[in-house]
Amino acid sequence: MIKVRNLGKVYRAGAHPVVALEGVDLEVRPGEFVAIMGPSGSGKSTLMNLLGCLDIPTSGTYHLDGVEVSGMGDTELARLRNRKIGFVFQTFNLLPRMNALRNVEQPMIYAGVAPRERAGRAAAALTRVGLGDRMQHRPSELSGGQVQRVSIARALVNNPAVILADEPTGNLDTRSGGEIMALFQELNSGGTTIVLVTHEREIALHSTRIVHFRDGRLTGDEPVENPRDAGKYLSIEPPADLSRGCAPGGGADAL
Amino acid sequence: MNLLESVRVALEGIMASKLRSFLTTLGIVIGIAAVIAVVAIGQGGRAVLMSEMEKIGTNIFAIYVDWRSEKPLTGREFDLSDVAVIKDMVPGITHLSPHNQIMWDIRGSKEKIRARITGVSSDYAYIRKFNLKEGRFFTEEDDAGKRRVAVLDEELAKQVFGRSQALGSKVTLGDTPFLVTGIIARGESALGFSETPGVYIPIEVWQVMFNGQVQMLEGSAVSKDKVDEVTGQAVKILERRHRDSGKYASESMEQQMQAANKITGIMTMVIGAIAGISLFVGGIGVMNIMLVSVTERTREIGIRMALGARRRDILTQFLIEAVILCLLGGVIGMALGAGGACLIAGLANWPPLVSWWTALLAFAFSASIGMIFGILPANKASRLNPIEALRRD
Repeated sequence: MIKVRNLGKVYRAGAHPVVALEGVDLEVRPGEFVAIMGPSGSGKSTLMNLLGCLDIPTSGTYHLDGVEVSGMGDTELARLRNRKIGFVFQTFNLLPRMNALRNVEQPMIYAGVAPRERAGRAAAALTRVGLGDRMQHRPSELSGGQVQRVSIARALVNNPAVILADEPTGNLDTRSGGEIMALFQELNSGGTTIVLVTHEREIALHSTRIVHFRDGRLTGDEPVENPRDAGKYLSIEPPADLSRGCAPGGGADAL
Repeated sequence: MNLLESVRVALEGIMASKLRSFLTTLGIVIGIAAVIAVVAIGQGGRAVLMSEMEKIGTNIFAIYVDWRSEKPLTGREFDLSDVAVIKDMVPGITHLSPHNQIMWDIRGSKEKIRARITGVSSDYAYIRKFNLKEGRFFTEEDDAGKRRVAVLDEELAKQVFGRSQALGSKVTLGDTPFLVTGIIARGESALGFSETPGVYIPIEVWQVMFNGQVQMLEGSAVSKDKVDEVTGQAVKILERRHRDSGKYASESMEQQMQAANKITGIMTMVIGAIAGISLFVGGIGVMNIMLVSVTERTREIGIRMALGARRRDILTQFLIEAVILCLLGGVIGMALGAGGACLIAGLANWPPLVSWWTALLAFAFSASIGMIFGILPANKASRLNPIEALRRD
């Protein structure tokens, strides 16, 4: 799914070039749930930008879903972001003026999906993340956890090859964060590939594999033998949401 | 990104901050309103002027001694026999009359005033299409018999006779008594043109009273297309008969209409151009606010780029927003301008002409202002780096 060879990124800031990332080799197979850990300045954000096709590497190669990304132009990168990647941000990054449904529709607009199909798919994605009854709400009318679930629905809606989540629980309380992790685990068990950046080991332990970064280099790669189950956070959720959002495979057929 | 969605997003943005959007496009509103109003009033004025001149007659002309000619004047540039000869030789001329004018005292039963005394032949009534309110214009017999008959226009009759009966009464020009045989009805004029009140008497009587010259000739052609041709022929005949070339000039209503047309056209254009400058200023206002908007919405741009918007998508989105803003301004301005034109024209008593092409032009113009002044902010938006844009608050 993701194959990175000798990846490097050097920023030219002023007279001295800054090496943000150097010699990274990483492979993420389809269906994996990988957590990337490291302190700030370790290069994990730079890696996410490169994996997310928001930036191009200064050295090395990057294959995403079998396509060589390094050396692509702006337009091709935009297309890749649209079709192959679903972003989930720490700060949610929804469009504040639009309701949940239209926020989820946005990636499909750039993909050229017809309006009627757009609305149907967006509604299905929102139902899948347990927000079937909040579609007309604007981000300001939703809780933090709900907003993040909207953004996960948005990330899913174009059926991307991988979901890139950058500190998705960073702005949430423990319970809401747990719900988000439960949702990720549920999606992953349905076959969705997820790459998650975090600096909290507690969060990382929900994944199936942890990759460590320090000073722009990959310093460790450990499998998680018994991933924590975030399902316990769902038990305090209202049962209606539980059945809609988290029943195995629920809504997946609609997508 | 499809067009419809861009339009929807733009409209939502505009509706989200109505006052700001309105103020942004206010320059366009005022500019378009000014252009529409000026052009409408100008066009209306021109149409009224033309219809006035058409009422007088588009086929009439005058031949006179060219004041620009430096040849010495003899006082015998025209004589009465010229009229008959020209009429005979130029079939395209339907009527032709000598035309002499002087300001002189006229006394009726009520008052003595100074008025315009015009000596003409009986043809003159046909040339100017006089509408007689009472009595008749003088005839060829009056001409030939040098009868002291006078035709007054309504205004003058009222002034010198007051309420008492003018027709059939005596009127005195200088010391010479005349019989009033007709009163010319006053023409309706939308522009309020009024000639100095006057009295018409047979040319030969005029010559006896004042001097033997003929000052100029006035005539009418069979049609307005023939005017140039027949005046040219008449001038040639005059030059041949008086062995005096380069001294005669002619003027036709057609020429005057063209000149008036040109002048009103130029005035409309000049004022329109000044109004156009305010449109330009308005466009700069739109550009300014759009630039601010791009800065404010940097994060939105970053989000859209992350979701797969190409640079082109961002560019079109902002361009469409600028165009819609300007079009809204254009539509409001058009309504205001048309309303204003109707109001002003109503006060000035002439119909405004808001032609469909002015409206279309204003519409196209405001759209292109949006394009021209929107391209810079839109381009700025599309060139943002997605990573930096996402990091912005």
